[in-house]
Amino acid sequence: MAVASVSHGGYSGAMTEEPDQLYVETRELRIQGFLLFMVSDLVLFSSFIFAYLYLRNSGQGWPAGGPKLDIALAAVNSIVLFGSGATMHFALENWKHRNFTKFANWIVMTIILGAGFLTGQVLEYMHIGARWSSGIFGASFYTLTGMHGLHVFAGIIYLTVLLLQAAQGKYTFTKYTGLTLGTLYWHFVDVIWVVLFSIFYLL
Amino acid sequence: MTAVATHAGGGLADHVHPEPQGFIRKYVFSIDHKIIGIQYMITAFLFMILGGMLAELIRIQLMKASGGLMTPETYNEVYSVHGSTMVWLVIIPLLTGGFGNLIFPVQIGARDVAFPWLNMLSFWLFPPAGLMLYASFLMGAPTAGWTEYPPMSLLGGAGTSMWAAAIFLIGVSSTMTGINFLVTILKMRAPGMTFTRMPLFVWGQFVTAPLLMIATTALGAALAALFVQRQFGVAFFDPTRGGSPLLWQHMFWFYSHPAVYIMILPAFGMISEILPTFSRKPIFGYKMIAFSSCAIAILGFMVWAHHMFTSGMAPALQLPFMVLTMLIAIPTGVKIFSWVTTLWGGVIHMTTSMLFAIGFLATFTLGGITGVFLAAVPFDLHAHGTYFIVAHLHYVLVGGSLMGILAGLFYWYPKMSGRLMNEKLGKWSFWLFFIGFNGTFLPMHWLGMWGQPRRVAMYDPQFQAWNQVCTYFSFVMTAALILILINALWSMRNGKRSGPNPWNARTLEWQIPSPMPYYNFKHVPSVFAAPYDFAEPLPYRGLEEELTGAPPPVPAAH
Amino acid sequence: MPENRDPVVHLDRQFWIVTAVLGVLALISILWWVWAPITSIMPEAVDKAQQIDALFRFLAASGTALFIFVCGYIVYFSLAFRRHAGTPENAVGIQIHDNNKLEMWWTIIPTVFVVIMAIFSLRIWAGIEFSPSNTLVVEAIGHQWYYTFRYPNVNGEVKEMHLPLGQAITLHVTSSDVIHSFWIPAMRLKADMVPGLINTFEFTPTRPGRYEIICTEFCGTLHGEMHSGTTQNPAYVYIDPPAQYASWYARTEREQIQASNAISAPLSPNQLNLSRGDAGAGAKLFAAKCSACHAVGPFDQKIVGPGLKGVLDDPAHPQLVDGDKATPENVAKILQNGFKGSMGEMPTQAGNGLNNKDIVNLVAYLKTLK
Ligand code: HEA
Ligand code: HEA
Ligand code: HEC
Ligand code: CUA
Ligand SMILES: [Cu+2]
Repeated sequence: MAVASVSHGGYSGAMTEEPDQLYVETRELRIQGFLLFMVSDLVLFSSFIFAYLYLRNSGQGWPAGGPKLDIALAAVNSIVLFGSGATMHFALENWKHRNFTKFANWIVMTIILGAGFLTGQVLEYMHIGARWSSGIFGASFYTLTGMHGLHVFAGIIYLTVLLLQAAQGKYTFTKYTGLTLGTLYWHFVDVIWVVLFSIFYLL
Repeated sequence: MTAVATHAGGGLADHVHPEPQGFIRKYVFSIDHKIIGIQYMITAFLFMILGGMLAELIRIQLMKASGGLMTPETYNEVYSVHGSTMVWLVIIPLLTGGFGNLIFPVQIGARDVAFPWLNMLSFWLFPPAGLMLYASFLMGAPTAGWTEYPPMSLLGGAGTSMWAAAIFLIGVSSTMTGINFLVTILKMRAPGMTFTRMPLFVWGQFVTAPLLMIATTALGAALAALFVQRQFGVAFFDPTRGGSPLLWQHMFWFYSHPAVYIMILPAFGMISEILPTFSRKPIFGYKMIAFSSCAIAILGFMVWAHHMFTSGMAPALQLPFMVLTMLIAIPTGVKIFSWVTTLWGGVIHMTTSMLFAIGFLATFTLGGITGVFLAAVPFDLHAHGTYFIVAHLHYVLVGGSLMGILAGLFYWYPKMSGRLMNEKLGKWSFWLFFIGFNGTFLPMHWLGMWGQPRRVAMYDPQFQAWNQVCTYFSFVMTAALILILINALWSMRNGKRSGPNPWNARTLEWQIPSPMPYYNFKHVPSVFAAPYDFAEPLPYRGLEEELTGAPPPVPAAH
Repeated sequence: MPENRDPVVHLDRQFWIVTAVLGVLALISILWWVWAPITSIMPEAVDKAQQIDALFRFLAASGTALFIFVCGYIVYFSLAFRRHAGTPENAVGIQIHDNNKLEMWWTIIPTVFVVIMAIFSLRIWAGIEFSPSNTLVVEAIGHQWYYTFRYPNVNGEVKEMHLPLGQAITLHVTSSDVIHSFWIPAMRLKADMVPGLINTFEFTPTRPGRYEIICTEFCGTLHGEMHSGTTQNPAYVYIDPPAQYASWYARTEREQIQASNAISAPLSPNQLNLSRGDAGAGAKLFAAKCSACHAVGPFDQKIVGPGLKGVLDDPAHPQLVDGDKATPENVAKILQNGFKGSMGEMPTQAGNGLNNKDIVNLVAYLKTLK
């Protein structure tokens, strides 16, 4: 597969190689495989969510009146994360409209928002005071949000790599499966957060 | 070796890279599904020898009511690693990674799986995981059985954490295999290979793949929780800090019940290939067999708590689990009856492979029926935690999964090596195995009923005589397996050459040379009927040159 | 597959003869299970054992009959349709693919079996799970690697289990360390002993005698010794006629009081020197004797009793469960006398096997829980 050779900044006609059948089929495979990966990742989260609900409802040792969670902070944080979902969406749309500069700007924006979310999480951790090993609240809360945080962190690295690859011309404006997968992943992490937010802060 | 690299405009089916040269790329870090399948099999059979040796240690220990060979502590390590080995390092890898990889992509007319690199990665997680499990012997192997219930598993030595990490690795590997297989079957079938034309082995893999994907991930979560509790004191399972030991049992069995179907559905698939081939008859009730596999897989996710009837769940919950568990007997019964009907009116070739397949029908039925007994809560209150369970699980796992694997080994051996295994020796080993197996595990039913608990290094002297019977017969079974091993090694060089289709079978893998060539097909075939009509011409087009050795077709210019 | 192309087939006489033979064999096996001398190997010691045996006979009979048919046909077909020496290499069997009617039967037969088995199991199950009230409540506690028992009005844990014949019993089982299990084969009943959880079953003893108790849940190195066969602490249940039971009970009640007196006569809380305790020794005692019921967490962290963090130190928790002020003396009083309240029952000093010094040490330890 010929890699479109692109000179610096020259994102134009050179990058519009027509997708052939091999590309179309491979893209389908990769997207489907990725969706299945997300299903199994979802199972991982669901298992811990089940554990959390089970422990919480088994009536033993759940802190009275609930733990001291800062719902305001978490709400702001959620907005930051959802915002990053939107910016990621714009990034991909701009790629499809063949605008590299805007794509790059939006994706940088996404990364910044993601990092902002992580910062917010660290603040929340610091102010809760409970530790991972102190009781079942710590166990459920830190394990689940920690796993999610790791997913966000991995996502930031993933997006950075995608950005660099795009800058080097690994993707063309017509062949960009990698970018689609990155976007899917980022939205997936968003959706997980909706669930976590509801079960910890609203339940 | 001239597989032509073509980057012409065709899709994946025409996307062929040149065959790798050099030992490492060809046989070690290979991305060819057939090589990977064989790698899985060799590794798993090696672990089977280890796991079998541990089993014999168990049996020798139990020759005397007072034990004597090992201390109880060592004995506990031995059966824990035996169970873990056989489940995670032998049966699951053989059925999915091994036979699955080797056969099903060819059966659907694909040239490889969807993600060959991922496939290689899956395999290469497997040997390190196995070594980790055995390395745990050095630091106090797990003792609480393959189920590792806390709080016991929290008290065990550092080996228990090793165990958790090893099984976690295996789980990741299985999950990746599941994703890979599922995408392959959904997207890479040859033209004309509709779902109702797929060989039943492919159906077996197709319903197993989601189980692998979903259930192993759930196990991963449980193992991770156990690991962090052991290493960082996180309180998931600690009752004094609000955790719950029962939580582990739920998380573990939510995986492990579906896992028992991971260990049987592919074997069902194998049986469904072998019976029609050697009866020269279409399989009876193709659609019902395929559909019942789906039913079993779905029901399999709804019955996990039948392992926990005695551990203290609300009686109101026992009820649905009891009934749902019993329901599984219906789709399984449909299968068994259809297989028996397939034998009727056939022209039965009693090859070794067929013998194992028929033996499977008998022993698996017995194991399944005792399973239904156990599903009845009142009976389970008596039988849980005794040798009756050990009997049930070996009847389904050894008499089911392992017999299926052995049938498959004799059947597909030519596809790996180009040679047949020795039939005479094979029949001898079948009868030895069959007798040894039943002699070993049948008495365990009444031993359990009469009061011998499982997982004990010493027992009530009144049971000694029957335990010795078990042990002597287990030597017979071991002898049979050693014969099979010798047969397999010897036939690699000295077996009769098989040619492409020694059994006159009709699925696609038999229409290409043995051993199967790199990239399987010169031309991707098209399919226009189901594979089991023995009286009809083969339902494939595009294989005309396959066996004639004519030069590969030149792809149309693009 | 084109079903209409399938040949029409008829079953020959041989088939029906074999079927008849299998039917006879199945019948014999059913009769065998009806009459099988189960109780000569395993006596039925309680009412429920009879019910469970009835279920087992039923399951075993239907299972064996099914198995005989499946296996019989397998063997018969394998022999009857074997390829003979003269059969041409390319001979094929009868080419049937489907047969809707037969497939329907293949679904109906197991369904019928499953439905009958399920109904039978459910009936027995309902009889076992829901039982009469007005029972004698006995508690069994698993330890590594022996059992102890508590009786109402008997101080402390006794080493032997006696049950009166004909009296409905409620058995509570729990554990002081890891998961054990309590199985009496002669009763056909078992329940796991899970730390922090009380499992219950109910039955009425119907046959006097001595029966062994077996642990069927892996509980550590000597799990295999937790039954009567090889252990140093043989585990038996004795089912006694009521009079004999009454005298055993009276004797035990007396002995247990003496035993606890022998530990040391309880002093009134004021006589204990509560400032001199050794918190370290108290912590060890707590782990051994109290942690099965108490967490070292906040008050609402309940296992059996409340969490004990800050019992003596939390301004938000000024009163003990008995309404007294949270002072060391009053805590010592609870440790001595036990307490029965909304959450459950806390055993007495003798019940927990504590001497006066232990109490002092425990209070010292409880003070450190802030
Ligand atoms: C698929 C799984 C599997 C298999 C195949 C086996 C095989 C055997 N098992 Fe095991 N077993 C389990 C799964 C399995 N087991 C599980 C899950 C447990 C529960 C563990 C627990 O309690 O946690 C258990 C427990 C268990 C116990 C109970 C221990 C106890 O509770 O105290 C016993 C006792 O007899 C036993 C015996 C045997 C024997 C004699 C064999 C024999 O069949 C073994 C014979 C095999 C060999 C001797 C290998 C030799 C082979 C070769 C040399 C050639 C191989 C190569 C080729 C075929 C090419 N097993
Ligand atoms: C390959 C593995 C495998 C398979 C296929 C099965 C199949 C089944 N198993 Fe088994 N099971 C195990 C492996 C397996 N099991 C293991 C390893 C354990 C022990 C784990 C441990 O604790 O270490 C276990 C334990 C186990 C228990 C827990 C016992 C206990 O610990 O107290 C129960 C309880 O319900 C159970 C039930 C069943 C049932 C109902 C089936 C059904 O799927 C069986 C269905 C098949 C048939 C019924 C036969 C064919 C049907 C007919 C001929 C039709 C007519 C029949 C009837 C109507 C009866 N199994
Ligand atoms: C068999 C279970 C059990 C054991 C063993 C047990 N307790 Fe308790 N304990 C209880 C229960 C139940 C209560 C609460 C009674 C109620 O309010 O219903 C309680 C209450 C208490 C209280 C009062 C708590 C409060 O906040 O008012 C103290 C103090 C206490 N226990 C200490 C101990 C110590 C120390 C030990 C060990 C020697 C011990 N307990 C062993 C069950 C137990
Ligand atoms: Cu106690 Cu096993
Ligand atoms: Cu199960």
